[in-house]
Amino acid sequence: MQTYAIVGKNVPRNDAEAKARGAALYTDDLKLPGMLVGRILRSPVAHARIKHIDVSKALALPGVKCVITGEDTPKVKYGNWRLFPDTQDEYPLAVDKVRFIGDEVAAVAALDADAAAEALDLIEVEYEELPGLFDTGAATQEGAPVIHEYCPNNISVNRKIQYGDIDKGFSESDYIREDTFHVHAVSHAYLEPCSSLAQVDLDGRITLWTSTQTPYIVQCLLASTLGMRENDVRVIKPFVGGGFGGKMELRPFEFCAAFLAKKTGRPVKFTLNREEEFLTGRRRHAMTLHSKVGFKKDGTLMAKDLKIRLDGGAYNAMGPTATFLCGNFGAMLYRYPNYRFLGEHVYTNKPPASAMRGFGAPQSLYATEVQMNMAAEELGIDPVEIRLKNAQVTGDKIPDVATISSCAFKESIQKVAEMSDWKNKRKNLKPGQGIGIGCYSFISGGVFNWFNTQFPFSAAEIRAYADGTVHYLTMASDIGQGSDTVLKQILAEELGLRMEDIRITSADTAMTPQADLGSWGSRVTLMAGNAILDAAKKLKAQLFGAVSARFNLNVIYELECKDGRVQAKGRPEKGVSFGEAVAMVQKANRGEQVVVRGAYTPRDKGLVTPAFSFGAQVAEVEVDQETGVASVKQMWTAHDCGTVINPKSVEGQLNGSIQMGLGYALSEQFVMKDGQTLTTNFLDYKMPSALDMPPSKVVHIDSYEPEGPMGAKEAGEGLVSPTAPAIAHAVHDATGYWCKDLPITPEKILDGMKQNKK
Amino acid sequence: MRLPKFDYVAPKTLDEALKALTAGGEGCRLLAGGTDLMVKMGHGLTAASLLVAIKGIEGLHGIRFDPSKGLSIGAATLIAEVAEHPDVLKYYPAVAQAARKTANTQIRNMATLAGNLCNAAPSADNAPVLLARGAEVEVVSQKGTRQLSLDDFFNGPGQTELARDEILTQILVPPAAKASGASYQWISPRGKVDISAVCVGVNLRLDGDVLKDVRIALGAVAPTPMRATEAEALMEGAKWSEALAEQVSAKASEESRPITDVRASAEYRRRMVSVLTRRALEEAHARAVENWGV
Repeated sequence: MQTYAIVGKNVPRNDAEAKARGAALYTDDLKLPGMLVGRILRSPVAHARIKHIDVSKALALPGVKCVITGEDTPKVKYGNWRLFPDTQDEYPLAVDKVRFIGDEVAAVAALDADAAAEALDLIEVEYEELPGLFDTGAATQEGAPVIHEYCPNNISVNRKIQYGDIDKGFSESDYIREDTFHVHAVSHAYLEPCSSLAQVDLDGRITLWTSTQTPYIVQCLLASTLGMRENDVRVIKPFVGGGFGGKMELRPFEFCAAFLAKKTGRPVKFTLNREEEFLTGRRRHAMTLHSKVGFKKDGTLMAKDLKIRLDGGAYNAMGPTATFLCGNFGAMLYRYPNYRFLGEHVYTNKPPASAMRGFGAPQSLYATEVQMNMAAEELGIDPVEIRLKNAQVTGDKIPDVATISSCAFKESIQKVAEMSDWKNKRKNLKPGQGIGIGCYSFISGGVFNWFNTQFPFSAAEIRAYADGTVHYLTMASDIGQGSDTVLKQILAEELGLRMEDIRITSADTAMTPQADLGSWGSRVTLMAGNAILDAAKKLKAQLFGAVSARFNLNVIYELECKDGRVQAKGRPEKGVSFGEAVAMVQKANRGEQVVVRGAYTPRDKGLVTPAFSFGAQVAEVEVDQETGVASVKQMWTAHDCGTVINPKSVEGQLNGSIQMGLGYALSEQFVMKDGQTLTTNFLDYKMPSALDMPPSKVVHIDSYEPEGPMGAKEAGEGLVSPTAPAIAHAVHDATGYWCKDLPITPEKILDGMKQNKK
Repeated sequence: MRLPKFDYVAPKTLDEALKALTAGGEGCRLLAGGTDLMVKMGHGLTAASLLVAIKGIEGLHGIRFDPSKGLSIGAATLIAEVAEHPDVLKYYPAVAQAARKTANTQIRNMATLAGNLCNAAPSADNAPVLLARGAEVEVVSQKGTRQLSLDDFFNGPGQTELARDEILTQILVPPAAKASGASYQWISPRGKVDISAVCVGVNLRLDGDVLKDVRIALGAVAPTPMRATEAEALMEGAKWSEALAEQVSAKASEESRPITDVRASAEYRRRMVSVLTRRALEEAHARAVENWGV
């Protein structure tokens, strides 16, 4: 194993102190002179034609500066899947129709929040209500009302994956089981509600400060919806309080802030409240998963046939990607010699679902893992053993989709079994106690260019200075996951510098190199990290050339950047400080600033991702058999994220994942009635609190990903998937109840126990 | 909606507060911690033209304990203070338990115990134990002072016996009788920090081996916190047995009138009344046995 000076160390986070002191400025903290407050009027009905809107009373209210509706706007549809314009189905403000309760109908800019709020009450909208569709079954019925005219059957996307001979696989199976799973929608529940502030400069160009994971995507889509050129829109990402996939698209309030700023000539800020977030914010897809799997008696997997319907809500959002990834994850973890997937993305009159941490994996792997545990039980094989028997290994291929370039999955399963004392624990449980296992795999960024960017997927610029410092510029977005710190660690390691030698400017689309697709799909460490290495290589070539010339080094010498110096390897006296080397390069170029650029775009890496992470998790649960309340007593995790760049950061991701997985498994859900979300605050939306966190132990398996920077791959999302199936398994172990319908509520456990007794 | 304009006064004495309250008329509301009132006003569920803040009134603060008279909790006393007060912890462990379970740290540091009662939510965490412990409230108006049993205090969700010109000034809890015990049990979907989906407070006393003063109060299973009087009657004067506790709990469950909402179904709530009542009876009984010699 290679040893590093900075990579692999618990370097304190860049932003930790500022956040702890309250000094970090988020979008809503920003104020500009003359700034107006924006608010959005939302549809109170789930599906309706807009007959008429009268804004005159709102406009007449003192303090109100501007009111806009869809009719005032350029009416340009947008969506992240620019490669397939048909999928772009959303207007910033409703045109003719509303499709869910919360759909944006009008926007107001006023002198203060009170006037803006009152103005909303004064806008008169006449709706002609249409029948609403609230589940995928109703939406796909023959003759169902049409939600989008272009899509008469309400199925907006379908994806297929197929390889091997599925019929032969099942005919050769000794044991086949078919199960239908329902998984529910949950909220990202990021702590920072969305906020945007727009300003128009003297030339009419827009600057937008916004709480986003994807400044570049917002820049491009905002420009197109405003009818402007991309370069006339500048997007700046201030501190962001979490995204989890919920802030990776253009959002209507971003458009409204910019459009109203143009109309009024004054800065305009929108900040959503928590109720709006719960009511209208993106959410994780609810899905129905029908899975048929075939095994040999000895537990060898023979075939899998997976059909998934995603409840997409009113718009596509990131649904097409989730649909595809569900099929990909359905084929992950184990070797399925024969596999077939059909995924359908269905429109309903509910708030749109979109990307959320795991992006299809939590749903798909819930079905996979619960079914694997069910099969193990019926085949009389230890759940650990059946996994080891079928586990994917380095070099395995999903035909036409991906090749796995590094995989320590088996090691993860073995390690977690050892850590949790799996074999003994299972034998020695008291009534009401249970232990269960769940596993995951995840992508390290996507390779499919649905955004249709003409730029590299990630880019880095490094400016080097004679004082021994560098300035690193990137569009990669730290949204609280810590990428600014991790990327600086990679750069510091590569250039032999200290963290404090590096200035970073990130995520300002007018100042940082084009482009970076943003923080989603666990792509940043690998992609932005590789862009850094590409740039650093070019910088080092220049520095090495200068040092080589200065010391008249034999061409066979290796050079290195180490401990703040540029020197011959093994001959540190043949070298100079980093700053002196930069000065030499600059002198050689007659004063020209030393600037290098690097980029990364995955090539020849299949359809999905450059690299997969893997891991296994065990949960120990205690179920109160009278109340049905399940409490998680302990979690153990062993995982393969390649080289660990910052161990504390990875542990933070794990803890956050367990918290999110806990909520997904046991307590969080949107209670809905006829398209109306009833759980619109943290009192009723049951996100686990810090006090609900179980103790947790983790081991990072030593592995190396050839495609990753210094061997690293993802650690941010995959970990969210194993928790729910591990808990479901443990609950089954404790009570006999198999949950095929998340979340695992006390009521379901009690009912399940009652049925088992019959 | 816009938060409507309202006036705000922060009197220093009870007299001033009563004067302001009477003068304020229909639209006047008392403000203690504000953790319920401000949220309701923000959502347009409660209107107010005048808020009279009572936290600045020195005389309404504090917890006093007298072994012969019992516990007095001033109306401006924070729930956090109740949860941590040494005398409450020692002599009224179930009262402390309910206070500690209420909401979260930040809310407990703002909200008052009196406010929790006056808000009259069916799920109010502090109501069941106080009902079971036979608490009374002191109510003052410019016309005079009256004392009423907490049993007669709640009229419906958000509605109490308080007249518009009255202030609840203190909560009075009698001293624990010899060989008595109380318990608070609750269940909520989230575990550690959550509003109760069902909660139960119980008090009982051992007279030899006979059970006396059995009081069972249920929360979040009716329009107001309620006593399960038929269940109490089954136990009053009887001897302790597990079978009896089961039977009494089943009766309490029958008496409850829960609804289905976003937090739990009516059926589950009814089942939980039975489970939690039995657990509360068991804990109260164990505490009573323990207190035998005290």
